[in-house]
Amino acid sequence: MSTDTTVPPAAAPPPSVSGAVTGLSLRQLAWRRLKRDKAAMFAMWLLVAIFLTALLAPLITNLLGVNPYDFDLTSLDPAQGSLPAGPWGGASLDHPLGVEPLTGRDLLSRLLFGARVSLFIACTAVIMIAIIGTTIGIIAGYKGGWLDTVIGRTTDLLLAFPFILAILALSPVLTQRLQAMGLSPESSRVVYLVLVFAFFGWPYLARLIRGQVLSLREREFVEAAVANGAPTRRILFREVLPNLWAPIIVYVTISLPTLIATEAALAYLGVGIVEPTPSWGKMLADSVRYFAVVPTYLFIPGTALFIVVYAFNVFGDAVRDALDPRTGRNVR
Amino acid sequence: MGKAINRGLRLAAVVSAGALALAACGGGSSSSEGSAAASGGGSAEGASGGTITMLTNAEQWQHVDPQRMYTGADIAFFSGYTTRTLTQYAYAAGEAGTELIADMATDTGTANEDATSWSFTLRDGVSFEDGTAITCADVKYGVSRTFAQDVITDGPTYAISYLDIAKAEDGSSVYKGPYATDGNDAAAFDAAVQCSEDGKTITFNLNRSVADFNYTVTLPAFSPVPAAKDTGESYDDAVVSSGPYKISEYTKGQKMTLVRNENWDKASDDYRPAYPDQIVVEFAQDPAAMDQRIIADAPEDQATVEYGNMQPENLATVFTANDPRFEGRTYNGYDPYVRYTAINTSLLPNVKHRQAIVAAMNNAQYIAARGGDFAGERADGIVKPNLPLDYAPSGIWDDMYGDVIPAEGNPELAKKLIEESGEPMPDLTYQFPNNPVDEKIAAAIQSSMAAAGINVTLEPIEPGQYYGIVFDPEQAKELMRSGWGPDWLNASTVIPELLGQTGGFNLSQVQDDAYEAKIQDALKILDRTEQGKAWQELNKEAMQNAWVIPHLFGKAQAFWGSKIGNGFLWDAYGSLAFGDLYVEQ
Repeated sequence: MSTDTTVPPAAAPPPSVSGAVTGLSLRQLAWRRLKRDKAAMFAMWLLVAIFLTALLAPLITNLLGVNPYDFDLTSLDPAQGSLPAGPWGGASLDHPLGVEPLTGRDLLSRLLFGARVSLFIACTAVIMIAIIGTTIGIIAGYKGGWLDTVIGRTTDLLLAFPFILAILALSPVLTQRLQAMGLSPESSRVVYLVLVFAFFGWPYLARLIRGQVLSLREREFVEAAVANGAPTRRILFREVLPNLWAPIIVYVTISLPTLIATEAALAYLGVGIVEPTPSWGKMLADSVRYFAVVPTYLFIPGTALFIVVYAFNVFGDAVRDALDPRTGRNVR
Repeated sequence: MGKAINRGLRLAAVVSAGALALAACGGGSSSSEGSAAASGGGSAEGASGGTITMLTNAEQWQHVDPQRMYTGADIAFFSGYTTRTLTQYAYAAGEAGTELIADMATDTGTANEDATSWSFTLRDGVSFEDGTAITCADVKYGVSRTFAQDVITDGPTYAISYLDIAKAEDGSSVYKGPYATDGNDAAAFDAAVQCSEDGKTITFNLNRSVADFNYTVTLPAFSPVPAAKDTGESYDDAVVSSGPYKISEYTKGQKMTLVRNENWDKASDDYRPAYPDQIVVEFAQDPAAMDQRIIADAPEDQATVEYGNMQPENLATVFTANDPRFEGRTYNGYDPYVRYTAINTSLLPNVKHRQAIVAAMNNAQYIAARGGDFAGERADGIVKPNLPLDYAPSGIWDDMYGDVIPAEGNPELAKKLIEESGEPMPDLTYQFPNNPVDEKIAAAIQSSMAAAGINVTLEPIEPGQYYGIVFDPEQAKELMRSGWGPDWLNASTVIPELLGQTGGFNLSQVQDDAYEAKIQDALKILDRTEQGKAWQELNKEAMQNAWVIPHLFGKAQAFWGSKIGNGFLWDAYGSLAFGDLYVEQ
């Protein structure tokens, strides 16, 4: 953030007393810009709706009288190799989006419950990435010296690591370990995915933050704080961190859909959530095998994933524009 | 035990690998169910000449070396073309295809009174592809290779467990095969496998009564290998043929070509018709494209067969549409496997608990999750009708547990049985290899148990580690996915393996002395029909004890090009009878 309007909150003008000109904080300015962006607002409300649906999934499925776990053999055709009976993947009043091949489980409820798992994993992992990446990035950038070198080489190492391969190779070992520590097979998979996403995800953010901090620490307000004898912790968290919100938020909104997609890819490779719990990744992996015979099945999790990824990207983009108007498309 | 486990691993690994397709390796139907009726009829006199093409998804053969070959379809292929054994099964559809006949031997073997010694006499004129006559010494040398367990891996180890050779302290044989040098007791092997002076008769001395040893020698592990041409591990790439064809080209990932063996004497072999001039195996084919080529039936693909099963999504097209294009070009019958869930008796000692689990099982869901009608039929035991002499309905679903159990399960009966047990049902864990189909089955097991109030946790295991974990008593849980096919057509390779104390695949950890004694008695019965009755009883008793949840008598489906003759499901190996195929001219 190197705009002239950037003012550390600590030095922000006092709230306006009265009169014509109202001073606005950086955050308020950003929110104003964001509100003017129609696409962003649409994406935001879409995301709110998706998160609410995921949160209220049990309620919704109850109201609709469907259940993600119950087999429904009457909706399958045994002579067709247990494929859904009827067109559109067996869609009917009982199963609005059709049923899963081989089991007859309701796809709508699996989609809603799957959203919970997929969003939970992605959100938890992204929060961990934000915390770890920011902390390490600030330390590396502000402290410099040998610490920066060590952290720099470590991030290099992790960035160069073929992480999908590592995740596949580590999966059996680590999930067994987690189970030995008393976790159920199911939660061990969730914890494993969150941990590896966080482990391989933070270096990108740390890199970004370090670069920002390198320029921030030479700025006048930081030097002033140092000259005033402020403790390091105060400088880092009160002076430097508030100027990093923009890159953090942007990084989070952009990496969240990536993580959902990665979860899907890993489920496809067999490192997914345990049955009978649904996840979007598992649904995608499963549906691909039936694409030739039940094409509608693939479109259900595929469309859901597309909407979420799209909404996050539009929103993330808009947030970046709002926080840093000079780079935004709205300027031109 | 270790060897036996490996044996189990081979077959069971086939089950797991085939999870996505309905079953990897084809199967047999002994078909009173009329399933063979769908096939192209039995063996008929065919036309000579032409080239048969076989398409396979695999990059290469698992093994071509006869002593290392174990998969049913592989044996069916090579026994028809390049690998002669002392005995083999007749080429015929239905039950006739399970008949044991003499191949390289003059008859199906002679046993002494208690079946501890078996003799076979070689025919005149049998020879290798270079024209040298096959003698007893060549068969003996072939058998000796199995003992070199460090070189000759993956093959069946019946020679080691049956031949009368002392065991070292670690349980391995004191004879270490033809490649070992120091500390190797070759004399012990010479005493166990003896050749007559004229080199025509081979005698196997066994350490126990093996009433069906003449079935054991159908395995290519008992086929001849010329010592001078043996290259140990690399013999796998350059085997010497004893059959009507020899390998002219074997390029892994591309193709194998078999051409006629000029030194094969038709007079010495009334078993193999040897119709085509050439057999070509095309490796690394896309499974979906393989099916499409045969469905399209273009002129160049009309003499084409597939290795393994069809893609599930094409089954409906080929089988249920009653399309005249596919008439006489398909089979749909039993594969060799019975699929079941092993119930760990060391963790569930209460028989009522085990019965409750069996009663609660919703096998309708199980079968749906495996692919519906094509997957097979609900099993009623661990012996399947493809062993016609050994199978009889066990009655487990009638009222063995006090009430009828429909395919959907009987949760009320299960609850009643738990009550009768006098103890609360513990929470269970189901272990399964993590693949798309087994995952669905796991969900079916969990939901059927839940209907009877039984709590099941699912524990998916990385497929490569699965058997390592479930065979470790420390890590084995209450319920484990399993499947088994016989090594030859006798329940002696099923019941003792799965439920015997020395069995290599005793996942249920059965330690029942009375039952074990009955197994040992049954193994000694020389009259095959009488022995079959003993297996029928033991199968029934196993169901009464609820050591397993029987799920499915698996089925396999295949189809082939329109110019292929003698296409039928060969019950002996649950695949096409490759050696009997011809090209319609």
